Amino acid sequence: MAEQLPTEKDPVVSKSLGGILLVSSVLMVLSLLWSVYDEAYTLRPWKSYQKRFVALYSRHLASIKPAQAKEEKKVLQDTGYEELNRAIKKAEESISPQLSEIDRETNSIIGRRLAIITEPFAIVRSEIAALVYLSETASSQKEKDRLNEEIESIKTRKISLTLPSDGSSNKQVMKIEKFNFSELEEEFNHLQKRKGDLGRERAELIRPTSELREKRDTFFKDQLSGLSPSQIEGLQSKMKTFVSEIKQIHIAEVDLVDRCESCHLGIREPLTLTKADMGGEAAFTSHPNRDLLKIHNPERFGCSTCHNGNGRATTGVNKGHGRYKHWLWPLFHRENSEAGCHQCHSKDLVLEHADILNQGKDIFYNQGCRGCHRFEGFDTESEALTQVQSTIHQLEIDRKEMEKNIIRDDEAGDNAESNDEANRLYAQANALRQKITNLDHEVEQLNFQSKHLFQERKKVGPSLKEVKVKIRKEWLPVWLDNPHAYRPGTKMPAFRLSEQQNNAISAFIWQSGVNGKLPKQPSGNSVRGQELLETRGCLGCHAIGEGDLEQGGVFAANLSRVGEKDHYNYLVRWIHNPRKRTRPYCAFEKRDLGPEDYAKHGLPFVFDLENSVCPNDGHELQVQQMTVMPNLRLTLQEARDVASYLMSLKREPGILKEAYPKVDYLDDPQLKEEGRALVQHFGCAGCHEIAGFEEEQRIGTELTKEGSKPIERLDFALLTHDAEHEGWYNHKGFFERKLENPAIFDQGKIKAPMEKLRMPDFKLEPEEITAVTTFLLGSVDSTLPSHFFFEPDTRSQDIRDGWWLVKKYNCMGCHQIQPGQDSILSGMERYQGDGKEKLPPTLVGEGARVSPEWLAGFLKNPAMHPTNNARNGVREYLQIRMPTFYLSDGEIRKIVRFFESLASQNRPYIPTEMEPLSKQEREMARGLFTSKAAPCLRCHATGNPSHDRNATAPNFLLAKERLKPGWTERWMVMPEMMAPGTSMPSGLFRREGDRWVFAGPLPAAFRNYPKDHAELLVRYMFQLTSAEQRRLISRLPAGATKVAGR
Amino acid sequence: MDWAQLWQIATLPDNVPITLLIVVVPFYAWYGLRQSFKNDRLIDQLDADPELAKTHHRKTQPWKEGWDREVFVWPYLLRIEFLVTIIVTFILMVWSITLDAPLEAPANPSLTMNPSKAPWYFLGLQEMLVYFDPWMAGVVLPTLILVGLMVIPYMDANPLGNGYYTFKQRKFAILAFLFGFVVLWLSMVVIGTFIRGPGWIWFWPGQTWDHNKVIFEVNRDLPDMFGITTMMGKSLFGGAVFGLYTLLMVFVVHKLFTMNEFNRKIYERMTLIQYVTLQIFLVSMMLLPAKILARLLFRIKYVWITPWFNI
Repeated sequence: MAEQLPTEKDPVVSKSLGGILLVSSVLMVLSLLWSVYDEAYTLRPWKSYQKRFVALYSRHLASIKPAQAKEEKKVLQDTGYEELNRAIKKAEESISPQLSEIDRETNSIIGRRLAIITEPFAIVRSEIAALVYLSETASSQKEKDRLNEEIESIKTRKISLTLPSDGSSNKQVMKIEKFNFSELEEEFNHLQKRKGDLGRERAELIRPTSELREKRDTFFKDQLSGLSPSQIEGLQSKMKTFVSEIKQIHIAEVDLVDRCESCHLGIREPLTLTKADMGGEAAFTSHPNRDLLKIHNPERFGCSTCHNGNGRATTGVNKGHGRYKHWLWPLFHRENSEAGCHQCHSKDLVLEHADILNQGKDIFYNQGCRGCHRFEGFDTESEALTQVQSTIHQLEIDRKEMEKNIIRDDEAGDNAESNDEANRLYAQANALRQKITNLDHEVEQLNFQSKHLFQERKKVGPSLKEVKVKIRKEWLPVWLDNPHAYRPGTKMPAFRLSEQQNNAISAFIWQSGVNGKLPKQPSGNSVRGQELLETRGCLGCHAIGEGDLEQGGVFAANLSRVGEKDHYNYLVRWIHNPRKRTRPYCAFEKRDLGPEDYAKHGLPFVFDLENSVCPNDGHELQVQQMTVMPNLRLTLQEARDVASYLMSLKREPGILKEAYPKVDYLDDPQLKEEGRALVQHFGCAGCHEIAGFEEEQRIGTELTKEGSKPIERLDFALLTHDAEHEGWYNHKGFFERKLENPAIFDQGKIKAPMEKLRMPDFKLEPEEITAVTTFLLGSVDSTLPSHFFFEPDTRSQDIRDGWWLVKKYNCMGCHQIQPGQDSILSGMERYQGDGKEKLPPTLVGEGARVSPEWLAGFLKNPAMHPTNNARNGVREYLQIRMPTFYLSDGEIRKIVRFFESLASQNRPYIPTEMEPLSKQEREMARGLFTSKAAPCLRCHATGNPSHDRNATAPNFLLAKERLKPGWTERWMVMPEMMAPGTSMPSGLFRREGDRWVFAGPLPAAFRNYPKDHAELLVRYMFQLTSAEQRRLISRLPAGATKVAGR
Repeated sequence: MDWAQLWQIATLPDNVPITLLIVVVPFYAWYGLRQSFKNDRLIDQLDADPELAKTHHRKTQPWKEGWDREVFVWPYLLRIEFLVTIIVTFILMVWSITLDAPLEAPANPSLTMNPSKAPWYFLGLQEMLVYFDPWMAGVVLPTLILVGLMVIPYMDANPLGNGYYTFKQRKFAILAFLFGFVVLWLSMVVIGTFIRGPGWIWFWPGQTWDHNKVIFEVNRDLPDMFGITTMMGKSLFGGAVFGLYTLLMVFVVHKLFTMNEFNRKIYERMTLIQYVTLQIFLVSMMLLPAKILARLLFRIKYVWITPWFNI
């Protein structure tokens, strides 16, 4: 049979699968191990971060410890510290016998007795309590009686306890004592009370020592910069017991989970950790602005609320930072990190700790972005005006309707069939008449509002209605073609216009300008003009000179080439009063009114803030140019001087009319029509006032929520793929590139001229682009609940509102408003050193200084004089002049409140009554005022022109109306602290107990005067009359009012 | 060629099953057919020698001397299944470690993603929407597919070819299935994955999926090409064309089904109901390639237009 055995075995049965089974099993086990490793390490990269952090942080702590120890030693050896230490020791020694007596009684007698008594007492008490409950709930009286009996028997039961006697001898004697329940209770309560009394006694005893200790510790903390060695040790031991785990902030109400600190472990450490400190690991640094974390506690706000990113993700850096395709809120890049502030602080124009964001908002506001792009909160005035006007319009329609109904009702009443019916109809008509009067009240109010809004509404660019009277015809197309070439740094952006488009727009602008005749002005003195321009404060906003020679502000236009373009006569009018228009604009009739409209009604052609009503229909007119440029109240001759100087400013002195090509086409009516369409297309009316485009809407997209627009809605056009490959297919990439080159997304596209992207080129600097990008990135539809947002209290709201105006009118060009901020003027050569005195006053603390009523009056009319306008109201001695801004009442109120709130003043301000001076006090004050050591009247103006020429401080007569007494006293005592660099001398008074005493040689009358000297002077000053001032001057020795050395 | 993008599409966690499918389905088709042909040769051998067939019959491999006629499930089948379990576990393990679930941005009702694609197993259905109106592609045809798969056993009059791989004894069934599943269904899934880009526009593999791409394509209804404008006319004309198609297709299917002797025998074993059912499903299935060709080659949108449905 053996030879019949098959040579081939049955593969199904005989084939061993061992080898392949082994291999695949091994592979499966390996994959299992891999999955474990993946789970433990690959998917938990924070573990290695934590390990590294612990090592690096421990190393850093160890490295700073010796230096800090040295520092500590220095402090410990400080005499102040040692003194305190000695005082503590002394105090401790003095109380130690009493203390040990108290401790002895507490511990050995009271304590031990209590320890023995407590338990038996508690047992009996609970036994009784249980029986009482049974008795209370017993169903029969019999049962109750029985239980009560039992309770009584327990209460009378005697318990014997072995207790230490409370003898005062050192030796403790144990004694057996017997108690029934009530005795036991009494003893227990007695012991408890005694224990409490002793505790209080003890605390009272050691209080002075504890206070000293606290004082010493505070002293230690104040003296030591950085951490103390024991604090460092605390941190070190924290690192030793560090538990590797996900560190997370969970805020349930917003469903926020931030695990950022699983890797960024150093963020909230109590010391500053730099990259270098942490071995080059940027992830481990501490938060760069710890003040911000104090305001926004991470436990309440988390991290991703401000910074974005995917707070939940823990599997990798890119995941956590949210920098991957489908995460909608990627981490802001470092340079844009302030974008996170905007979602809650969107209504603030100026925000602390957010300079870049502020700059972005500034650019958006000033460069005219808001002319084309709506952004909530920017340009509220014109939006409000439109609203008010349409309401007025609607009400007028309603009124007409009502009038018609009155006539109808009256007629129907006359023809009514019954008396009742007639009466009903007449009543109806009367009701309508009353309604009409109500309506009239409402319209009156709205007209009042619109008058103010007309005053407040400003355009970024100049009015183009004035072109014919203002500029040279040939210049217009040259400017439009490339504004930056003509005036580098101008706000006017460059549009990508073909020559034909350029000509057409110029033609439209030229022909749509209003006609008007300006009086011919004789030429002025340009040398004097230059002097005026440089000293009156023009340079707070305007700059002169090009390139490196440029000096002055960039808020308004650079004036270097004004002479090439403007007409002299117009310039004189403009400088004399920039708000003056050639013709007023009636928004109701939608046209500019001319003398003929006024003549029709027999009125003179006069229009200004007092005469702002349309002669045709009674609506409010736009009577001012929509410019923020204020009136410097120059005399007409001064205006001529400045204009003459400006007319001499040309890039090349020889450049004349012939330098620009002939522009006859500007009068071509056909070209004008072409231009009209283009002006509309390019949205010129966003920034300029243009005839026929007064009601024009903005042409750009609204940007209020641009940062959270889906990326698909941002048109990268043909660059989409490049953007994806190069990694800028995101909002930041879009904004930055678009701002840098607004035409970029037209690249490669074939488009009709009018379909091309319209956004013009603003020639922004890279940091400006970053700032605007930051602003736009932050402009998001927030996912946070509204109570997370910053809700300002009245004070913060006032400050918030005020900043919009301070920025609108560029107050900071001339004034310092916040500590640490410099005005444009203060940086100019003219105002260095001694020149500082010629600077406008700093407004830090202005709200505390002046009374709000006075400030409001001053802002309304800074000249503070009924007839003479050409002067400063307060500081007549300053050449620089506080101009008239023609602020509306609402704006004045906002500015006043802004300063009040900035200085934390309470509202309303109620002036304190001044205690009248006694005769003796008046005499003393006079003495002080005229004393040689305090020559107040040498610098302060007196109203005498020859003296005031050299004065450097305001007249005292103003003080009563203007100043707040508290501030005045602080100012007299320490002016240098409030306004560093002031010429008001410091150290006039010295502290003596709780009062200020004049530091110079005291007039004899002052001996035995117990009150505050500074306060006396304030009282005197606030009751000063001009007669009194004259008397003072007469008492001065001759020549004392002349400023020394001048 | 945009290789980067092609790679991106092929390796998208969503698409990996389809990339694998392109390789795996042909492989297993080939592998199964190889075994079928082997068995077919054995069948031929046994057919030629009836004596041998009586004794030496075993389904998958020719019986040899000393071999068991039958082998037990345990251990001989189960050990292989166990092995496969291990290998599949390994594959799934590696797959799940290396590829994460493809999560995307939260849904935004005001913004539809583009291209907006169904999960891979539904891409065939989505692609069908290009060729039929939603009522047909979304409801009627999927129902027919499901019902068709269910009735297969009831239409099957072939007593052979059960429990072993064979091509010869099941030629028509296998070819019909390969055509329906691989050629039609899977290729539509592949087209939906790799070919259809933004705007569901046809992009050849390697062409960049450009959101700005604009194509000019006008689809017409067949009656319009013949200048028929009334609804009645369209219904009648379309019905006629559809009827013509049906007749033609019934004829073609019948010819194919009765092409060889073996099938003719089976045809004779079938009842009328079985045969009619078979014809209905095959004719409906053939609608799809017919419509694809009409659409892609002649840009025909609908053939038969009625107020109730369009085909």
